[in-house]
Amino acid sequence: MNGQNGHKSVLVIGGGIAGIQASLDLANMGFKVYLVEKSPSIGGRMAQLDKTFPTNDCAMCILAPRMIEANSHSNIDLYTYSEVEDVSGEVSDFKVKIKRNSPFVDWSKCTGCGLCEEGCPVILPKEFDQGLGKRKAIFIPFPQAVPKKYTVDKREERPCKAACMDACPAHTNVLGYIKLIAEGEFQEAYKLIRDTNPLPASVGRVCYAPCEEACNRGQIDEPMAIRDLKRFAADQVNIEELEVPTVTKTDKKVAIVGSGPAGLAAANDLALKGHDVTIFEALPESGGMLRVGIPEYRLPKEILRKEIGYIQKLGVEIRTGVQVGKDIALEEIRGNYDALFIAAGAHGGMRLRMEGEELPGVIEGIRFLRAVNLGEKVEVGKKTAVIGGGNTAVDCARTAKRLGAEEVKIVYRRSRSEMPASAEETAAVEEEGIPIEFLTTPTRFFPGNGKLARMECVKMKLGEPDASGRPRPIPIEGSEFTTSVDTVIAALGQAPETEFVKEFGVSLSKRGMIEIDPETGATNIEGVFAGGDVVTGPAFVIDAIAAGKRAAHSIDRHLKGEPIEVKEEGKEPEKLSEEEVEDRKKRFPSQKRVRLRDEPIGERIKDFREVSLGYTVEEAIEEASRCLAGQIEGCIECHECAKRCEANAIAYTMQDEHIEIDVGAIILATGLDLYDVSPLTEYGYGKIKNVVTAIEFERLTAASGPTFGELKRPSDGKIPHAIAFIQCVGSRDFKHKAYCSSVCCMHATKEAILAYEHHPGTKSTIFYMDLRAVGKRFQEYVTRAKEEYNVTYIRSRPGRVAVNPENQNPIVWYEDTTTTETKNMEVDLVVLCQAMTPRGSKELAEMLGIELNEYGFVEVPDKLSHPVDSTRPGIFACGYVHSPRDIPDSVTQGSGAAARAAEVIAGGS
Amino acid sequence: MNLEDIIQETKTYYCLECGKCSSLCPISRYDPQYSPRVMVENALLGLEDEIVYNKKLFSCLTCYTCQLKCPSDVDYPLFIQKARVLATAAGQHGDYAHSGTLQSIAMLMARSPLKQNRLEWLKKDGYRTSEKSDVMLFIGCSPYFEPVFEDIPMRTLNIAEASLKVLNSLGIEPLVHPDERCCGHDALWMGDVETFKKLAEHNATVIKESGVKKVIFFCPECYRTFKLDYPNYVKLDCEVMHISELLAQRLETEGLRFNEVKRKVTYQDPCRLGRHLGIYDAPRKVLQAIPGIELVEMEHNREESICCGTSCFTNCDSYSKQIRVERLLEAKATGAETLITSCPKCQTHFRCAMVNKGEEKGPDIEIELMDLVNLVATSLGG
Ligand SMILES: Cc1cc2nc3c(=O)[nH]c(=O)nc-3n(C[C@H](O)[C@H](O)[C@H](O)COP(=O)(O)OP(=O)(O)OC[C@H]3O[C@@H](n4cnc5c(N)ncnc54)[C@H](O)[C@@H]3O)c2cc1C
Ligand code: SF4
Ligand code: SF4
Ligand code: SF4
Ligand code: SF4
Repeated sequence: MNGQNGHKSVLVIGGGIAGIQASLDLANMGFKVYLVEKSPSIGGRMAQLDKTFPTNDCAMCILAPRMIEANSHSNIDLYTYSEVEDVSGEVSDFKVKIKRNSPFVDWSKCTGCGLCEEGCPVILPKEFDQGLGKRKAIFIPFPQAVPKKYTVDKREERPCKAACMDACPAHTNVLGYIKLIAEGEFQEAYKLIRDTNPLPASVGRVCYAPCEEACNRGQIDEPMAIRDLKRFAADQVNIEELEVPTVTKTDKKVAIVGSGPAGLAAANDLALKGHDVTIFEALPESGGMLRVGIPEYRLPKEILRKEIGYIQKLGVEIRTGVQVGKDIALEEIRGNYDALFIAAGAHGGMRLRMEGEELPGVIEGIRFLRAVNLGEKVEVGKKTAVIGGGNTAVDCARTAKRLGAEEVKIVYRRSRSEMPASAEETAAVEEEGIPIEFLTTPTRFFPGNGKLARMECVKMKLGEPDASGRPRPIPIEGSEFTTSVDTVIAALGQAPETEFVKEFGVSLSKRGMIEIDPETGATNIEGVFAGGDVVTGPAFVIDAIAAGKRAAHSIDRHLKGEPIEVKEEGKEPEKLSEEEVEDRKKRFPSQKRVRLRDEPIGERIKDFREVSLGYTVEEAIEEASRCLAGQIEGCIECHECAKRCEANAIAYTMQDEHIEIDVGAIILATGLDLYDVSPLTEYGYGKIKNVVTAIEFERLTAASGPTFGELKRPSDGKIPHAIAFIQCVGSRDFKHKAYCSSVCCMHATKEAILAYEHHPGTKSTIFYMDLRAVGKRFQEYVTRAKEEYNVTYIRSRPGRVAVNPENQNPIVWYEDTTTTETKNMEVDLVVLCQAMTPRGSKELAEMLGIELNEYGFVEVPDKLSHPVDSTRPGIFACGYVHSPRDIPDSVTQGSGAAARAAEVIAGGS
Repeated sequence: MNLEDIIQETKTYYCLECGKCSSLCPISRYDPQYSPRVMVENALLGLEDEIVYNKKLFSCLTCYTCQLKCPSDVDYPLFIQKARVLATAAGQHGDYAHSGTLQSIAMLMARSPLKQNRLEWLKKDGYRTSEKSDVMLFIGCSPYFEPVFEDIPMRTLNIAEASLKVLNSLGIEPLVHPDERCCGHDALWMGDVETFKKLAEHNATVIKESGVKKVIFFCPECYRTFKLDYPNYVKLDCEVMHISELLAQRLETEGLRFNEVKRKVTYQDPCRLGRHLGIYDAPRKVLQAIPGIELVEMEHNREESICCGTSCFTNCDSYSKQIRVERLLEAKATGAETLITSCPKCQTHFRCAMVNKGEEKGPDIEIELMDLVNLVATSLGG
């Protein structure tokens, strides 16, 4: 911008009704206008009002067209979410620096659709509703906001690296759901989890939780109990009553082999995309290893049934008892479906390969668990030995104990530190009185009476690392010994059974696992995908879910005829640096992880009841509040919004922008703030629920407000039939603001009328000092209020508002100044007409070099000849920052200021 | 000083006649005839007789509740104090309680040649005092109140003894003067400036001659009078301090070693200590420092706390009684076992309300009463 043009342009600070009016007038005269507004939308206070006095016009209906006009006017450059940083120069030649705060959303892309907002886990008080309503960290201030663009309310850097999310194979929004739990929004937390994981209740019980290992809080004291919190969130919702979304159907059909977590996850996602999904399941029950592998005491079947039930409600058909390859050929399925996903898991047992293995009494671990889980009659002897050191071995041992085995032990060939079972599980098994014999392995089984009777074992020592990286166990010669035993459960591991795909031409690895493109899940055959244990060999539920989701994404693209592209995945989990750890330790006091309580040991081993009791609400909130990401205010950078934004508009790396302009004149129109009434303790604001401020009342009556225009009182949502308005709260008060705020007598009258219009018959009492009805048709308005709207005016300033503890009704104490009697009046709601103050004028006055009066309003030296001129040439003021005034006066003054600015630019003074 | 001067001095002319004072006033809430607003309005209308000959002029508790919230910053209690001078000049006075005994005592003390035997109580125990001390403990009217209120039972000297004990355990051996007199508080607030002046002059002389640098008070009324009123009449070259402030100060600087006292207590802010002088925190800090003490606040506390209902032993009527009952009920509603106050007069008035229950049995207002210094003395002792 060169100086020449600068002479012809004007800076307007503040986009309320006064600033909008001034801008439009100037723009229509042909001047260039820069309208700078601090908040993300223009509109100011007027946007918050329901109606305006004395005509009761809908405020937004009048304002919205003006806002839109200001936004689209070719002579107006609108800078919202911006601030003036510096002003120098003189009239006709001001140099202005403006800071455009980064909204972290590319406004040229944002369509205002609001998809982002739905997933955001950060819930904040909504300024527009005076905190009565809520908004998300990514938000628009109100539905009619101009410009209609979203802004991320990012205030601080997240103190952790959100390593949890990166470590989770499904990239669950961990920090997001923990934040929601901390906020008490359990249902929302569940929904957020379910977006990446269709089985939160199950995974919340059985997950190996790699996230916890990565959790950055773990570097400070203890990692977050991420899994337990997931279970908590899931336990708070009634899965059977969850709403089922309606999706538009495609005409595509997908077949899935296997109803384990991989199959279910894929089915879930594909069904949500509108595809028709059928799952073929060999076993009589669906759920895969969740159903037949994991014992009831870790995952109650009922919970799994509900979660699968919800997926079925999405339209997924599950055909149980159909073994593909035996009951139906893969070929046949392929012909009838548009795509195929193989998720058959790893259900084959591994053999011991030693003498006596075929004896009755020797069972394969995975078979044993399946039989128990399917309710088949399974007997274990008095003395049971479980061979192996993995989680399956532990599950077998604990199950055998519950089936009544008197002595159960685990025999493992390496030492404790090599045990693949999780430390948690190992501890649980020992707690239940099941010893682990380390460095021992069976060599032979001997019969007695036609069945297993004794087992010969040998002691081992550890040698050099083998292929798995663990030290190789070497038998110690001559250390053989024999023990008597009734049952041996061999939990050596599982392998996929892939015969049926081999015939179909799907390529397999040497170890019999299906080979896929790990990023897309595609096999060598077009339209055929695979994932889960069938690809990886025995792994974990959440890995299978991640694989299912990945495949579903590819299948969806395949079905749409789009190229199968790799879905953007998370990065490697990051650690906090040493300095960061020190810093965090200082900032956040150490807080112990809240441990889950278990059923007492003596009780729990008697049956298959769930061992872990889950968190109580208080425990969950306490634990959730430890999350480092949750320690900050505003956006926690969980990137959920970016995930959802279809326009790709989210831009986390966006920076604040600094621009410089030249202008000839400046108009200050920063409007009003509401005076904090909390020091006026006598009125109980903040303590008595049914005492609200007038601006809150406006929001409670407005259709766009937190109650959608239904006037209800805060304590119990009851309709207030008797309302008391207290005038001059903080105004005309030497101890607060000595001046008259000028609009409250009238807005109280308006609000009383509105209350009546909402609920005819409502009785309003306005306690006033002197009724300031000084505008055109104002007195008539008051008369109408009295005559038609049941409004009574009492000249008195109440001294105290008490509360009736029984019904939360406020009680107003006042002196009836006509009878000198001190009385009290019980009402349903009290509205405080709080004082109003000039907004932001102090900082701006300093920057602009203008003077203010003792209350902070712009000082106008020549009130009669130059009523909008500040103490400095070329700088003008209009609206409430000039002096207390209503909307019509603000508009008039806006035009006045525009005219004066034009005059100065044109060469006048 | 005439009515016009009083209006000027107390800024009464700012009054907007809004009535906020009345709706806050503890008396107006019960007595429909008492309206501070009307009193002020009459002054502004120049209706001097309506003020001077109004019996309600002596009802005001000068509790400062109204003044603290008056939007026009009218100093109504001060207005009352001055208007009572006019009334006294016109031969008016309030209804004295206890047949005027307490007023007579003050007037007697105002006579200079007076041989008092006010230190009897000091002899019985091993209290440590010192004639040469820098610090004086002001005892005020306690020795005189003791016999008057024996039957309620209110033992004002108990508080004096506890105060001395507390000072001793802080390592202070104070001067307890054999010839101090009533501070003059009641006389001043009842419009008897003559009596007040004599008492003030006497006390000022005694203190000056003793050479102390600091005077400690356990009675907030004496304290307020010395701190805010004496400077307008006499020269006093020493520091004055309430014992709760001293204790709070010690807590901060050196810490205090309290023994545990298991008790749930609530606290009555005396008008003089609270609203008059703005001391709300010191007594609370002391209470909270005593292990075992659980402090629960009444619904109205600090600035909003309700006056004990009587002032200057005047116009102690049914309304005054109602206020005391209301306050005691509030104290009971907290579930506290003990109502702590740091004003001997508050305690006296509350005790009085509990004894004189009247014919009909009213609500149960029994609660243990104790002065802060007594609690502290127990906790510091042994
Ligand atoms: C409860 C209530 C009810 C009311 N009812 C009515 C009614 O019915 N009728 C009526 O006529 N009047 C009513 N009013 C008064 C009316 O709201 C004001 O007269 C009017 O909003 C003043 O307009 P304005 O543009 O001066 O200020 P505002 O509306 O306050 O707008 C000022 C704008 O400036 C922005 N701003 C502030 N500081 C800066 C900065 N440093 N940089 C950039 N931008 C900044 C603000 O974000 C805001 O958008 C009511 C007021 C209240 C509180
Ligand atoms: S990154 Fe997460 S917290 Fe931040 S705005 Fe987006 S969804 Fe909300
Ligand atoms: S407009 Fe009315 S309510 Fe508001 S400050 Fe003025 S007199 Fe008081
Ligand atoms: S509160 Fe103040 S302004 Fe209002 S009537 Fe009382 S003295 Fe006058
Ligand atoms: S000082 Fe107290 S008693 Fe006197 S008028 Fe004010 S509130 Fe009432």
